[in-house]
Amino acid sequence: MLKIIILMLVATSIQAAQPVNIKTPEMEIGFTPRSANQMGSFYEARGFSKEMRDVLSKQCFITIDIHNISHKKIWLDLSLWKFTVGGKPIKREHRDYWKQRWQNMGVPLSHQSTFRWTLIPETLDYLPGEHEGGNIILPFSDKPIGITATFATGENKQGKKIVVSTDKLFCAEDKE
Amino acid sequence: MKLKQTLALLVFVLGIFSGLTLNASNSKLPFGIRHYDIGSAKNFSLNDIDGEKVELKHSKGRWVFLHFWASWCGPCREEMPAIQRLADKMKGEKFQIIMINTAEDEDTVFEFLGTINVDLNSLLDVDGQVTEVWKPRGLPTSFLINPDGQVKYQAIGGRDWGSPAYINFIQKLLQADAKS
Repeated sequence: MLKIIILMLVATSIQAAQPVNIKTPEMEIGFTPRSANQMGSFYEARGFSKEMRDVLSKQCFITIDIHNISHKKIWLDLSLWKFTVGGKPIKREHRDYWKQRWQNMGVPLSHQSTFRWTLIPETLDYLPGEHEGGNIILPFSDKPIGITATFATGENKQGKKIVVSTDKLFCAEDKE
Repeated sequence: MKLKQTLALLVFVLGIFSGLTLNASNSKLPFGIRHYDIGSAKNFSLNDIDGEKVELKHSKGRWVFLHFWASWCGPCREEMPAIQRLADKMKGEKFQIIMINTAEDEDTVFEFLGTINVDLNSLLDVDGQVTEVWKPRGLPTSFLINPDGQVKYQAIGGRDWGSPAYINFIQKLLQADAKS
């Protein structure tokens, strides 16, 4: 019986942290939760200090993958995205927040630079066919995460807006 | 008579427009390359893996392929053999490849270049600050800088630089400069 319960718990948590992939006529977008161990091993291999890794291990990493499959330019602007946990709005920290935090901790410039490269840019224009991605960092939670991502389109951002949303994401947790 | 003149004028105008269309399609860039006219290339001074100091400003007079990469970046790894093919094909031309590794140490870069079996040198932007100034859109990113030191194009993501589409594009840039 205990085995069955454990198996059910494992199955539930594996299912909970599954990636979410959404396709619209204009774009394909993927949201993939990353666990603290997944991110920590990458940062450890790059020589990041334990202090820095400890801070990061308390966050919720989600890799965003965006592919423009339309014939128009698509504009990413993270300031237009909304995030919720359990239905309540939460704040995503801007990359400048992390820059300041690492500076305050005296993190070497090389590690600050590598860290920034793992984040998706705050703004980015995607030409037709372009495919780029990166991570966003949210406060860790075991409740469902909602993301509503709004994109402008067209050369001057005057085209029809694209709105993509999911409320089926969970932060990835490492299994003991 | 007037009708003939009108028809001739119409044919002439259509001819001009079809010519324009043809030129526009001829100037279509290979996938992943975009115009990036941001003016003068910002100079930098970095050491390569042999400890030699390299300054961008000394590369004036030839097209420069400036490439930002890191060993942990999957597309960078995949792209390296294509850059090697580009280097081989452009040997002897007024064309220089400058690679900049972003924020890794010398041992990591040396080992990486050894394992992927390419004969390419790289500059070491150990603290990542030159990369911060250049602000590539992502890794890998390549910039094409003309012989006057003006940034002209940016290429995002791994590209098959050794393929005819990219080689022809770069050769046309060189030919256009030779003519002017």
